[in-house]
Amino acid sequence: MRRAALWLVPGGAVLWALAGADIEAARIIGAGARLADFLGRMVPPDLSVWRDMMTGLAETLRIAVLGTLFAVVLSAGLGALASETLAPAAVWRPVRAVLAVIRAIPLILVAMLMVGAVGLGPLPGILAVTFHATGMLAKFYAEAIDNVSAAPVAALESAGATRAQRLRFGVWPQMAPVVLRDTVFRFELNLRESLILGIVGAGGIGLHVQTYVRSFQYEKAATVTLAIIALVLVSEAVNTALQRRFS
Amino acid sequence: MSAAAFTLSRVSHRFDDATVAATALCDVTLSVAPGEVVALIGPSGAGKSTLLALLDGRLRDWRGRARVLGAPLSPDAPPARAHRADVGFVFQDFALIDRQSVYQNVMNGRLGRTPAWRSLWGRFGERDHMAVAAALHDTGLADLAARRADQLSGGQRQRVAIARCLAQEPRLILADEPISNLDPAHAAKLLALITGEARKRGIAVMFSSHQPELAQRFADRVVGLGDGEILFDRPAGRLSDDDIARLYYGRARGGAGLRVVGQ
Ligand SMILES: Nc1ncnc2c1ncn2[C@@H]1O[C@H](COP(=O)(O)OP(=O)(O)O)[C@@H](O)[C@H]1O
Ligand SMILES: [Mg+2]
Repeated sequence: MRRAALWLVPGGAVLWALAGADIEAARIIGAGARLADFLGRMVPPDLSVWRDMMTGLAETLRIAVLGTLFAVVLSAGLGALASETLAPAAVWRPVRAVLAVIRAIPLILVAMLMVGAVGLGPLPGILAVTFHATGMLAKFYAEAIDNVSAAPVAALESAGATRAQRLRFGVWPQMAPVVLRDTVFRFELNLRESLILGIVGAGGIGLHVQTYVRSFQYEKAATVTLAIIALVLVSEAVNTALQRRFS
Repeated sequence: MSAAAFTLSRVSHRFDDATVAATALCDVTLSVAPGEVVALIGPSGAGKSTLLALLDGRLRDWRGRARVLGAPLSPDAPPARAHRADVGFVFQDFALIDRQSVYQNVMNGRLGRTPAWRSLWGRFGERDHMAVAAALHDTGLADLAARRADQLSGGQRQRVAIARCLAQEPRLILADEPISNLDPAHAAKLLALITGEARKRGIAVMFSSHQPELAQRFADRVVGLGDGEILFDRPAGRLSDDDIARLYYGRARGGAGLRVVGQ
C-alpha cells in the first residue's frame, strides 16, 4: 500500500510533465542539423579575443576568490552560532533556518538584486557569491564543530591544558581537515557559478560569452567556452589533489 | 605536605536519567598514601571509571568529601590548571587525537606544564621534548613517533595513552584499565613501567583492571568495587577466592547497579 503510493508519486510527476511539455518530434529531428551548423561556425575559434577573454576570466577568478574569502569570514562566526555544541537552541535553530533560506535562493537571483543595489561590475558579483556561499559554508562549519569528539579534548583538560590550548591542540586538529576540504569545495563551486554572473551584469567572463553569442560571433564564443572548460578542469584537478591531502 | 595522596569520605554519585537512575558510587571511603600502588577491581558497571573520573576532577554533582594531593576537590568545577597537571590519567578509550602524530599526542601531556602562550605557536621547551622522548622510549613507541594515531593498533594506541600520562610527570597516576588491549607480555611490561615509575618517584597509582592476578602482582593493595560499593580492601596477596567470587558472581541484584526509579 505504502509502496504503491511511493511509485504513484514519481509516475504521476512524469505523466504530468510529458503531457504539458510540448515535445514535437519534428523539432528534435531538425535540431541535429542546426546544432551542427552552430558548432561549424565555432571553428576555427577566433583567438584574437584572448586579451578580453583573460580580463574577463581574471575578473571571474577575482569574484570567486574574494567571494569565498568573505564567505569564510562570515561562516566562521555564523558557523559557531549554528553549532549545537557552542550555541543554545534558541540561537542555532533560527540561525540554521536563515542559512537554509539563503541556500534556497539561486545565485543568479541574488546577483540580480545586488546589481540593482550597488550597480554593475564585479562588486555585485562578489557580494552575491559571498551571500550565497555563506548559506552552505556556515552550515558545513557548524557540522565540523559538532563532529569534534569531546573525549580527546577532555583528556587535554585533564592534563592541565588551558581553554586556548584545548582549542589549538584538541578541537582545531579535528576540525581543520573538514573545514579546509569544505572551503576548497565551496571555492570550486563559486568559480563555476560565477562564470555566468556577467549575464546579469555582475562582472566576469559571462558578459563576453553573452555578447559574442548575441552578436553571432561564434568563433569568439568558442574561444571563451574552451577557456572556461579549461579553467573548470584545472580547478577540479586542484580540488581533487587538495581533497586527497586533507583526508 | 598532606599525609595522603588522596582521601575520599562517603562519596556517592548517581547518573540521573529519564527512566532509570544508576547508582554508580555509594558511600565510598578510601585513603591512599603517597607511593602506594592500588588496584581497583570489579565487574563491568561496578563504578571503577566513575570513581577514577571523580578523582581526576571530571565528575560533577557527586556528594561526600574528597581531597586529592592536599587540595579539596569540588563537585561543581574542574580543578585549577596546576592541579590538573599534577594528576595524570590513562583513559580507558585512549582519548587520542586521531589525526595527530604519536609524538604530538604524547606532547599533549605536557600542555599543563609548558607556558600556554608559547605552546599555541607549536613551540615547546627542551624539558618537554625530553619528557616526551623518555616516555616514547619507555613505552616502546620511539619508532612510531611520526605515525598518525589513527594508523596504530589498539595495543599501540593504549601505549600512546600511557606515554602521554608519563610525559606529564604527574604526582598521582590514575589509570582506567590501562592494559585491557595489551597482550600478556606487554600488559605485564607496562604495568611494571607505570608502577615502577611511581615507586621510583614516590607517587601514588590507582589503576583499574579486570585481571586480578596481574593486579595482585603489581599492586600493594587491591580494592574490590561492586555496585558502587567497596566490598573489600586488602593487601595484595591476601585476596581469597571467596573475595573474587563475591565480587564477580556474588550479588543477587546483578552487576549493573541499575535501579528503576520508584521501586
Ligand atoms: N555517562 C553516564 N550516564 C549514565 N550512566 C552512566 C554513565 N557512565 C556510567 N554510568 C553507569 O554507572 C555505572 C558505573 O559505570 P562505570 O563507572 O563506567 O563502571 P566500570 O568502569 O566499573 O565498568 C554503570 O551502571 C553505568 O551504566
Ligand atoms: Mg570503566
